[in-house]
Amino acid sequence: MKIGLEIHVQLPTKSKLFCPCPTTDAPAPNTHVCPVCLGFPGARPMMNRKAIEYGILLAKMLGCTIRDTTWFARKIYFYPDNAKNFQITQYDRPLGEKGMYYLNGKKPIRITRIHIEEDPGKIKRVGDLSSLVDYNRSGVPLAEIVTEPDLSTPAEAREFLGQLIRDIRHTIDIPDDGERSIRCDCNISVGIERCEVKNVTGLKNVERALTYELVRQTKLLKAGGKVVRETRRFDEERGVTISVRKKEMEADYGYIDEPDLGIFNVKELTERLKIGESPQNMILRLSKEYGIDEKTAKQFVSTSVELAHLFEELAAATDTETARTWTSGAVSAGWKSFEARGGGDAAEVVSLIGKFKAGEITDTECNIRIRAFLTGTDVDEVRSGSADLDSIISEYLDVNPSVIEDYRKNERAANRVIGHVMKRTGGACSSAEIVDATKRLIEERL
Amino acid sequence: MIETSILSSLSKINEKYQMFRTITSDTEAGDAEFLFSAKDNLTSKDMETCSGSKILEGYRPPFDATSIARMRGAGGLLVGKTNMDEFGFGTFSTNSAFGVPRNPYDPERSCGGSSGGAACAAAVMDGHVAIGVSTGGSICCPASFCGVYGIVPTYGRVSRYGLLDYGNSLDKIGIISAKASDLGKYVNIMAGADPRDPTSCMQPDMGARRKLKSVAVPKDATEGVSEDVRMAFTDGLETLESLGVDVDTVEMPSLKYAIPAYYVIATSEASTNLARYCGMRYGHQKGDLSLKFDDYFTSFRSQYFGQEAKRRILLGTFTRMVGFRDRYYSKARMVRQSIIGEYRSVLRECDAVLTPTMPFVSPKFSDISKMTPLESYKADILTGPPNIAGMPHASVPCGYDRNGMPIGMQLVADQWDEGVLFSAAEEWEKTFESVRPEVSI
Amino acid sequence: MDRETVEKVARSAHLKLTEEELETFSRDLSDILGYFALLDEAPDCENFGIDPIDVADVLRDDEPHMEIDPDKLLEGMDTYNNYVRGPRLL
Ligand SMILES: [Zn+2]
Repeated sequence: MKIGLEIHVQLPTKSKLFCPCPTTDAPAPNTHVCPVCLGFPGARPMMNRKAIEYGILLAKMLGCTIRDTTWFARKIYFYPDNAKNFQITQYDRPLGEKGMYYLNGKKPIRITRIHIEEDPGKIKRVGDLSSLVDYNRSGVPLAEIVTEPDLSTPAEAREFLGQLIRDIRHTIDIPDDGERSIRCDCNISVGIERCEVKNVTGLKNVERALTYELVRQTKLLKAGGKVVRETRRFDEERGVTISVRKKEMEADYGYIDEPDLGIFNVKELTERLKIGESPQNMILRLSKEYGIDEKTAKQFVSTSVELAHLFEELAAATDTETARTWTSGAVSAGWKSFEARGGGDAAEVVSLIGKFKAGEITDTECNIRIRAFLTGTDVDEVRSGSADLDSIISEYLDVNPSVIEDYRKNERAANRVIGHVMKRTGGACSSAEIVDATKRLIEERL
Repeated sequence: MIETSILSSLSKINEKYQMFRTITSDTEAGDAEFLFSAKDNLTSKDMETCSGSKILEGYRPPFDATSIARMRGAGGLLVGKTNMDEFGFGTFSTNSAFGVPRNPYDPERSCGGSSGGAACAAAVMDGHVAIGVSTGGSICCPASFCGVYGIVPTYGRVSRYGLLDYGNSLDKIGIISAKASDLGKYVNIMAGADPRDPTSCMQPDMGARRKLKSVAVPKDATEGVSEDVRMAFTDGLETLESLGVDVDTVEMPSLKYAIPAYYVIATSEASTNLARYCGMRYGHQKGDLSLKFDDYFTSFRSQYFGQEAKRRILLGTFTRMVGFRDRYYSKARMVRQSIIGEYRSVLRECDAVLTPTMPFVSPKFSDISKMTPLESYKADILTGPPNIAGMPHASVPCGYDRNGMPIGMQLVADQWDEGVLFSAAEEWEKTFESVRPEVSI
Repeated sequence: MDRETVEKVARSAHLKLTEEELETFSRDLSDILGYFALLDEAPDCENFGIDPIDVADVLRDDEPHMEIDPDKLLEGMDTYNNYVRGPRLL
């Protein structure tokens, strides 16, 4: 089975792609509109610099070749939400081409191209009588990323999308507004001919739509039938794909270059714009460079890239094993709270662990102080809470020594202790704290 | 102060010549320093804008075109919107959905097109300045047919914000007037970068006025041109020489490809621009909503577009279709570059390229109706080349045929070199005596 | 251009032609395309510029603002509860 995806991502500009209308949520339909995005005769597009910059960043992230000049084209199709009945997109010269992106750092997925285009408006259906169009979305910048059919299963496609979205968000700083903002056209073929399922929203639906197609096409072929090249849509409620039109009915888009925008020389911009390491690449690098397993690296990075950075600082100041233990333990336990309070400089943590390594403070004391620092709590308060917590755990372990034996075989044995302590403390301690303390005290007894 | 009497007689004048689609209701000029009209494809807040098309009947744009706004800002009073071929599709202004303007020298003849109403207004009304638009010859053709001066600045000199597009890479806004000095004066008012039209943002400052010292005449400039036009053109050349202008003959072999290349680019672009007219958002919108969208759009477009608009939509849709795009659309754009290159090399050696403006004087409506579309396309043979190349060019009156119909000649300068055209037209006006049409209302 | 092609092109352009129009346009367009064959003999040229002048890097800053009151823009449109009314989709 071969799967290729066309992924549409809204770029986080403040104004639209070709006009200064805001891209933020509008108070009512058709209130963030102007002559340009309504397609009024005589109005013409004006290019948003930021959209080009975001496009270049993504093209770089995908390892695309970015040529020195890029330009736009008109794609002509008639539809009520398409204000000019043509969409300004890219055709002959997309921003980036021939990229390569690695799924889990291993499987190469070829990127055909990435280009920038304008989003159409939104149609609200009212019965079958007429359509009601809201052009607030018309002209919002999109990046379209097209992959080669290098994905082999619906689950893999979902995994790929998840990783891609995480990397995109990190690269161009898109707020995590749920996966629904990602729209996807999915091309899938089991045999020779392929079908395209248009406009599927969200990771879960992509996997559902592809799985449905996989089953449908396989059955069809087994029964001696033939898959026809066609466009289908996904009915989210029923979980099925439905034929929209056959290949021969496809519109001839009749592309021409857009004369109103001119061309864009992006060589200098491309050289100037640097992308940070993508989360996926960071996971791979941490695991390789420090010899920690990928699971741990992923845990650090998905908690926060800053936490992963702190791990690297600690490793440099002490050693990898110390850094790994403390980062997984006390630091991870308090990190969410630290970031919730605004994050910032965590050099104190490095200094505390340094003191512990130098034998100036005990590990319990170090633990308490790290916790106090990250949660912004008074050290004495943490100490007494922690002492309470430690004594509750120790009491339980004294009464149930079998836990230690079980823990040797399977770390999940700790859950029994954790469950008990949670009940006893009744929410006074965070679960991260309890987990950390339990593991610490069990490991002391091993 | 300006004469206000013309305002009160506007509707009478228009009854006779049909040069306007819309007329101002103002009867007093107030503080206005000059009166001007704009072609009906330029948006104006206070007046309907239809581009000569039924499909936009009743459309009132919410904004002024930059060219109109700048004329108003300079003290101009917009007196009306001039009649034109639907969306600029024509050479004789006979393709308007709203009547046909009559030539001031002979009401049985055409004003030329597509800015026919503009040239007519300039010829008939004293001191009138008309904004015209040229895609393939739509300013120089009517200027020559109506015996007035017309200028098309370099592509990108005047902002196209508010221009209802025909061919975006070809459309240029210019001036038609009976007075040569108006060309420079009003182009200067309209010119300048406008962020709302990116293609206007690359222009250098308007070059200095410069005396015309030399012209080049392409070897086959008068091939296929009528005898009357040939004679007037030869006289014009002699006059220029007597004024001390060097006249050279040059070979410009790529110009013969200009007309097919022009029509391919123009209709390819036009057919995309016209896609938006579909019975939604603006213009006629009362249709059968029970039709599926494809059929709904089709019903409006079939009902309200005129024959020439349909013909050019079909042509332009075809020339950019898969399988034909390379042969027509892509090739035409290469040809455009060759033509630009050829003009450049000729204009390195001289100030302007000179030809007659039109191959014949304004034809009678009865003869126009017998012409095939291709025959009328070929009438752009001399105006097409500078237009496809985005070169500034001007038409000046240079003679009259035996029936007293005006004849014009066309000067083409290098891109951004309008200055030489402004002064050439003014110099010419001092020597050439125009015969004004008799206007009685 | 034969009638079948004219019909196909017209469908793509959202035009419905009468029998008479089909006849006329088929004749006119054949005539015109015959003349356009002249382009085949024109020499190829390396560049093909989108515009006749160089238009490059005209960009605007990403600053949102609105100039015309959207209500004014909707004035001439067929609307329902601030939505623009259009034809049905299916
Ligand atoms: Zn807008």
